[in-house]
Amino acid sequence: MIHAVLIFNTSGVPRLTKFYTPLRTPSQQLINKIFSLVSSRSPTLCNFLDTPELNALLGDRIGDEVRVVYRCYATLYFVFVVDTSESELGILDLIQVFVESLDRSFENVCELDLVFHFDDVHHILAEVIQGGLVLETNVNEIAEAVHASSQARKQSFQSANPLALGSGSGPRGSSLQAPIGWLTNRFTGVGSR
Amino acid sequence: MWERNLQDLIRGLRAHKHDESRFIASAIEEIRKEVRGEDMELKAAAVLKLTYLEMLGYDMSWASFHVVEVMSSPRFHLKSMGYLAATQSFEQETDVLMLTTNLLKKDLTAARPLEVAVSLNGLSHIVTPDLGRDLYRDLISLLTHSRPAIRKRAVLALYKVFLKYPDALEYGMERLKERLEDPDIGVVSATVNVLCELAKQDPQAYLPFAPPLFLILTTSNNNWMLIKTIKLFGLLTPFEPRLVKKLQPPITELISTTPAISLLYECVHTCIIGGMLRGVAGHTLAQTCVTKLAAFLEDPDQNLKYIALLALAKIVPSHPHLVAEYESRIMASINDQDLSIRMRALDLISAMVHPNNLQSIVQQLLSHLTVPESTYTTVISATQSLSAAVSGTSSAPSTASPAQVSPAYRETLARRILSLCSADLYGNVSDFEWYVSVLVDLAYVSRAPVGEAIRDQLVDIAVRVRQVRRYAVQVSMKLLADETFLAGGEPGLDNEGSGCQEVLWAAAWICGEYASELTDTRKAIPSLLAPNVAKLAPDIIAIYIQSAAKIFSAWAVDLAARWDDDDLPEVKDAVTSVLSGVRQFASSEDFEVQERADVNAFRPKPKAEFGNGFADASTSAFDPIAVSEPVYPKSLYLLYPLFSQYELNPVAPEAQASVPVPEGLDLDAWIVPQAQPKIDEPVEVEVKKKKKDRKGKEKEKEKEKGAGDGTAKGKKSGKKKGVVASERTPEEILEAEELAKAKARRLEMLRDDPYYIIDTPARPRQSDDVDSIPIVRLDDLPPLSSVGPASRTATPSNAPSFPRPSPIPRASYAVERGGEMPPEATKQATPLSTPTPPPSGPKPRGSGQVTPARAASPAIPPPSFPTYEVHDDEIPTTASPELIKVMKVKKKKVGGTSTGKKKRLKDNDATPSDSVGTPGTS
Repeated sequence: MIHAVLIFNTSGVPRLTKFYTPLRTPSQQLINKIFSLVSSRSPTLCNFLDTPELNALLGDRIGDEVRVVYRCYATLYFVFVVDTSESELGILDLIQVFVESLDRSFENVCELDLVFHFDDVHHILAEVIQGGLVLETNVNEIAEAVHASSQARKQSFQSANPLALGSGSGPRGSSLQAPIGWLTNRFTGVGSR
Repeated sequence: MWERNLQDLIRGLRAHKHDESRFIASAIEEIRKEVRGEDMELKAAAVLKLTYLEMLGYDMSWASFHVVEVMSSPRFHLKSMGYLAATQSFEQETDVLMLTTNLLKKDLTAARPLEVAVSLNGLSHIVTPDLGRDLYRDLISLLTHSRPAIRKRAVLALYKVFLKYPDALEYGMERLKERLEDPDIGVVSATVNVLCELAKQDPQAYLPFAPPLFLILTTSNNNWMLIKTIKLFGLLTPFEPRLVKKLQPPITELISTTPAISLLYECVHTCIIGGMLRGVAGHTLAQTCVTKLAAFLEDPDQNLKYIALLALAKIVPSHPHLVAEYESRIMASINDQDLSIRMRALDLISAMVHPNNLQSIVQQLLSHLTVPESTYTTVISATQSLSAAVSGTSSAPSTASPAQVSPAYRETLARRILSLCSADLYGNVSDFEWYVSVLVDLAYVSRAPVGEAIRDQLVDIAVRVRQVRRYAVQVSMKLLADETFLAGGEPGLDNEGSGCQEVLWAAAWICGEYASELTDTRKAIPSLLAPNVAKLAPDIIAIYIQSAAKIFSAWAVDLAARWDDDDLPEVKDAVTSVLSGVRQFASSEDFEVQERADVNAFRPKPKAEFGNGFADASTSAFDPIAVSEPVYPKSLYLLYPLFSQYELNPVAPEAQASVPVPEGLDLDAWIVPQAQPKIDEPVEVEVKKKKKDRKGKEKEKEKEKGAGDGTAKGKKSGKKKGVVASERTPEEILEAEELAKAKARRLEMLRDDPYYIIDTPARPRQSDDVDSIPIVRLDDLPPLSSVGPASRTATPSNAPSFPRPSPIPRASYAVERGGEMPPEATKQATPLSTPTPPPSGPKPRGSGQVTPARAASPAIPPPSFPTYEVHDDEIPTTASPELIKVMKVKKKKVGGTSTGKKKRLKDNDATPSDSVGTPGTS
């Protein structure tokens, strides 16, 4: 099972936190700890965080075999906390799927998109994972579902506020930052079959 | 009025980077007003803002009710905001959750699929046992919804409901099974996913799912699903051997064809669990697996390397020879700069250790602990500065650099070395001198709190391995002379040797216990009693003092053997130096140290005078004529037997269990009665106290009755202590019974009363009560017949059980000698070894269980002091098959191991060994 999905930027500011299991450690503390562990690893190292500290932090809640799988895209870290029923490489691909889905709906997603569309990111995540279990891994299907629900929200908003301009969620932040550039990452494991 | 929406809040936050907390405080104030308003749109926006702030660590539990309000909005965009806020902020204890039952029911049956989807997603976050009970039927009916997207979500939500409300399982199982044949692959995948989680708890219940799962395994080419299916089979195969045969062909095919290592890893894992790697066919399969995995070790992709190590670690227990071919590559991974990979390689290496490669592996691991400064930090600082430059943060190098050699990793590494070597009772160690030096090195370089483990192992080895004692003593002397550890006691783990002060404990103990091996006995004492020893932990000082006394005694005996009257000044010198050295600790704050210093300082004194006088006498009396009397002062021999009367031997883990429980001893009974809830009125207390007395007596009587003719013991102690006399009339007894019953009822009531805290049983009662309880006259109790069985039921286990001076006059240790000494030590250590082999039970592992200091046992009394030996014949004979020598307490070695025994006492409180422990403190 997936226990948590965290997104934070390279300075450790959380951009999205989703806990599927209530964790004993206060979430801020957990994020800070994971951030300090993850950010000290050079990009050439593997994407699995496996340190004794982590077990001390999470072990009693999730069990001994807790794994942190993370991936860094430009200025953002995507971190999944999982247990042994998930395949490590599978989760790595799931992160890729999630980021691709974000990219589909935001078109060249960047950190600011996640900042200003925090709710939309949650809705997209909800199409990938539900309650800690993987819901869908096909990017096309995810994009379709995301589109359908955001259309529905938009319509609902417009019917409620016929005079409003836009969709109620302010204008898209202009691309101040570099796009995440997920394409530079190579595929491994599951996707290659 | 201008309301801020989420975007405005975020913009504001970005604009107020310097006084963020003040900005947020005012924002929350605003939100508090907004959520109370009538406007739903505004309320929802406020809740959304709160959800955002929650992510930043601000509490939003106060707004739970408003969240439910927003959830119940008919408008979809508001509803999804409400559900989002609920998933982020609700916890199991959130009280408004009970208000959501009907809301969820309505949403689950809504006409619009999107609403159903949103509520299903929400439900899987917030479900509670109550919600599960009320909603599982709706969920099950959603399993056949026309849209696959809803079916998929319903399957996943059902898992969460099963978790919280397991009763739903019997209704849901069959319907879940149908979903395995769903036309939509997403639904099947979700179902496999859920089954995989469910089967973790109770695999057997999911065996009926095997046929459809097998179909999926052979027909699907979706890697996600295959991974989960194979994982699931890995859980099932241990319970259904026939599955193994069936699975072997498809899994073999997958292993040889799949390019995806994640799938390969799962296959390997399942093969191992299912035992598919056994036999000839299994061997080739294992060969294939190992070859494939080893290839990944070479891969430049660190992730594949990591997974390969993970998978190899699973194969290694059954096929070590296959993995051994790649030992050098794996050893190379131990030096990898990636901590994750090092951790896995460490695991793998631990499984590969055998006597031939242990030394090289341990040496390599040790080098990790020693070199980090020079090698690693340079590597780190380079990558670090790079990443710092990229991220634009200016984190100080000192904060992040320990990630590579972090304290936790150091500790893991150190513990791993210790466990590698001590595994199977040092089964892999062939050179113990080497290992002792490794332990000492470890103490110096580990900088991790592993001192206790090192201490225990050092002592354990010194006791178990005779041949290494001389070396151990030499090393210990060096340790004692070295001040590194004295300085290392300061907080912080930066200094060499810090965190391992306990190693001095071992060094002192070894020097003391094997003082005969010391080359220069006299010189050892000053380093034990040096003034700066006072900086050490009290328990170490205590052992120092004790060891000093032991060494002194050994030296005295040694000196007496080659007595020359010219030695007298030297003796005097030594005595005064020991005395003064010990006296400085007499005012120590720690009780143990004080006590020991007192005892030891006192002892040499009369001895010194005595020795003095004797020596004088000898000079005058024996000088002219050499009589047959010995020419040395006998007093020099006085001390030694106290310490070395009996040799210390390790005690087998089963030893305690094979000591028969003496007749009439109830180990489950409380020594001090269970503390009862205090009652306010003093009158009541009075009554209780009285009753207590009686209950004690009744219990006593029961015991007498139970013990039958074996009451002599009890009587004896009763006579000794017969203090409390009481003549009881039948009315009083009746009254007591009445009271006891009433109390039992009350206790029963209180147990269920959540507002009443019942004291923990171990708490002792007030002192006056304690005194009044166990001292009971046994010999003039009313006749047994007067106590009915009713009173027995009314006084449960909280009654006092046996009088304080334990009725058992002695306790005994049994020593299991065979099977627990390392092979070369066994022969020497057990000249009287038993013909019967040690029990075939689990071999004692590691030193954790058997630490000889705690296990002082009279085994073979040295022949020189036979007077102390008292073989006891009256001891009840053991029923256990192995030959056990049981001895009386009194002849326990006095003083040798008192600290150890103290510890031991803690372990078996309330057992007869109580009486054993006490004479040990000298």
